[in-house]
Amino acid sequence: MKLNMGTIRSDMSGFNSIAEVFRNTKYLLFDSVDLDFSDCSFFEANMAAPLYSVIARLRNELNDVNLLNTPRKIREILKRNRFLTLFGDNAIPDTNQTTLPFKIFKLNADEQFSEYLDYYMKGKGIPRMSDVLTKRFRQSLLEIFINATFHSKSKSGIFVCGQFYPTKHRLDFTISDAGIGIRENVRNFTGRKINSVNALKWAVMEGHTTKTGNLPGGLGLKLLKDFIKLNRGKLQIISRFGYYEFTASNELYQKMDNDFPGTCVNIEINTEDTSSYRLSSEIDHNDIF
Amino acid sequence: MNERITIKVTDLIGTPLCISAEDGQKVFEKTKQLILSGRKITISFENATMLISLFLNVAIGQLYESLSEEAIRTHLKVEGLSPDDMELLKRVVDNAKKYYSNKESYDDAWLKEEDDDDE
Repeated sequence: MKLNMGTIRSDMSGFNSIAEVFRNTKYLLFDSVDLDFSDCSFFEANMAAPLYSVIARLRNELNDVNLLNTPRKIREILKRNRFLTLFGDNAIPDTNQTTLPFKIFKLNADEQFSEYLDYYMKGKGIPRMSDVLTKRFRQSLLEIFINATFHSKSKSGIFVCGQFYPTKHRLDFTISDAGIGIRENVRNFTGRKINSVNALKWAVMEGHTTKTGNLPGGLGLKLLKDFIKLNRGKLQIISRFGYYEFTASNELYQKMDNDFPGTCVNIEINTEDTSSYRLSSEIDHNDIF
Repeated sequence: MNERITIKVTDLIGTPLCISAEDGQKVFEKTKQLILSGRKITISFENATMLISLFLNVAIGQLYESLSEEAIRTHLKVEGLSPDDMELLKRVVDNAKKYYSNKESYDDAWLKEEDDDDE
């Protein structure tokens, strides 16, 4: 089967196009899928992570997946972030140091993911953010990653990659899985046949968690939103048919036309942020509990 | 018997990364057991290089399910946290208190909502 890939950016249309590939291929077994990039004029490198959520599903059913007619510039981007090594191609050096390469982590690889962030975010010029911004960003990514390992039940692991856009002063980092999606988790937890958008709303609400046991929860996403608001960045969560986007000035839930096979979180941060993130008042050690 | 016991988190979990739920559970179990036996304890985060809310939620937030606020306040101290991690812990603790004091409504509020499933 041959499928045309259009231009893929980190927006609803980009995610919807990736989900469309899944719609067209979800019942294939032991088959071959050619993704034709002839009509793709731009592919934002971090979108390799959600694209792999679809490819992982296909490979899991022993389908062959090939990328065809990739324009030179896009080919370079995907070689630089090492995505094409998964298709037998060579990587090229990231001379501009703008890439956090594509990588697949197993569900128990939280320490390796932390090491990956250490390695690629430190001293590589991507980007020269303040220490406190770097720490907040890393904390946010770890929260998302650990949550994915906890909830996704992804058989193929967690797919990550990031891209720094120097002229825009933006750094995008994307964490995607090929798991059951937030909808399934909330359905199992609440016992209701809730749809994807409402499941996303449920998950974003402060205090909600589907973790088993008796844990309070839901703080991770609240903290992430607070951070994104201060930083004037962007947060996107795509899970099955649900699309959520949050910025300092807007919050949007939408239903996508196609079913994305898993959950993907993209954080875009403003790397020129000079907020001090200083606390309004220091917390007294005796006043915590 | 009345001497304060220190739980060195990074020693107990064997990593400076306070990030996984499994490791948080280890700290939780140790802490709960000691508080229940009447010991005063300090949870020390010295040498921790990374801390996330999920870990604190499991390690400390969960204590509010079975222990009273008073018992926790009397028996528990933390040390070795930077001011911003202290703020993180404060938010985790406030969230846990809120959750357990009103657990039914937290869990059930959603169930009253109507859903239009069209997928």
